[in-house]
Amino acid sequence: MSAFKRVQQWATFARTWHVFDCKWQDPYDSAQVIKKYLMGLHKPIYHPTNDCGDVVVCINSRDIALRGDEWRKRAYFHHTGYPGGASWTLAWELHNKDPTMIIRKAIYRSMKGNLQRRHTMERLFIFPGEDVPQDIMQNVTNQIRQLRLVPTRLDHIPEEEVQKYPKVMDYPQDYVLK
Amino acid sequence: MVFLSIANWVRSRGPDEIWRKRRVFKLAAHYIGRRRNCYSVAVRNVHRALVYATKARQLKKQDMIDLWNTRITAACEQHNITYYTLKEGLDRSNIMLDRKSLSDLAAWEPRTFECLAAVAKQKIDYDGFIDGTDRKQPTGVNLNLKDVMLEAWLKENKK
Repeated sequence: MSAFKRVQQWATFARTWHVFDCKWQDPYDSAQVIKKYLMGLHKPIYHPTNDCGDVVVCINSRDIALRGDEWRKRAYFHHTGYPGGASWTLAWELHNKDPTMIIRKAIYRSMKGNLQRRHTMERLFIFPGEDVPQDIMQNVTNQIRQLRLVPTRLDHIPEEEVQKYPKVMDYPQDYVLK
Repeated sequence: MVFLSIANWVRSRGPDEIWRKRRVFKLAAHYIGRRRNCYSVAVRNVHRALVYATKARQLKKQDMIDLWNTRITAACEQHNITYYTLKEGLDRSNIMLDRKSLSDLAAWEPRTFECLAAVAKQKIDYDGFIDGTDRKQPTGVNLNLKDVMLEAWLKENKK
């Protein structure tokens, strides 16, 4: 490596597009990771006034997983501005209305409230399912690693695989499975 | 000697009042409106500005340290090493670089930083030091960061 090329860096300020699969992920933990890519905190050239944030495409936001009974307990507050205009929406209600809203709000709230935040959020795309428009998907060059392993459900394993699995015992004839 | 009464009754505080005020007005020269023209308003704002300036001397240093930490952490992630491991490895190899130098290297000379990360990793490996900070989240795979040698693997398989 010549002395001149020692410090050469190609495409340092280029925007990279990342894809993140939200399936079975905690939105509040994932927000900390996604935020890092949106703000450019994962680059050594980061500076608060430096426009080095990347684009993140979140897919499968319909399949996020909340901890414990948070679907029933977590409430999202909204106020219309008029007297008596306060409303509290439970997480499951909000998710039924708009499956992208919980992850969007989680990422929005994970960032510090300043003038840049709304512009940073413009670089975030969230899709409830796997079908992403071609003009967005063709830019994606990187996948962000999921925080948690997606568990395999028993009813998604093929029948013959389940039958082949070694059994410890057979249920008695008079045993009632719940 | 302390004057308790007479000195406080005197309204004029000496002949050089104009010079005393001029000192304040000079500091308020870039303000707008009454804040720069009225002494009683100007002096309050100048006083507040000086308090801010005093506090900011510490904050500026703290902000720079935060920025260096962010940059070093970002560069460490690119080389599959945590900031803690890097520091431990460099300290053990007797490379005493501070946060400012490390972040400068990370931003402007990424190849140099890569070498430093490799040195730290190798030293940690020799010493048998185990970094447990990357094992907070269960990933389902028993992943040890020092075993992840993606770049080396890619180079090997290229041939």
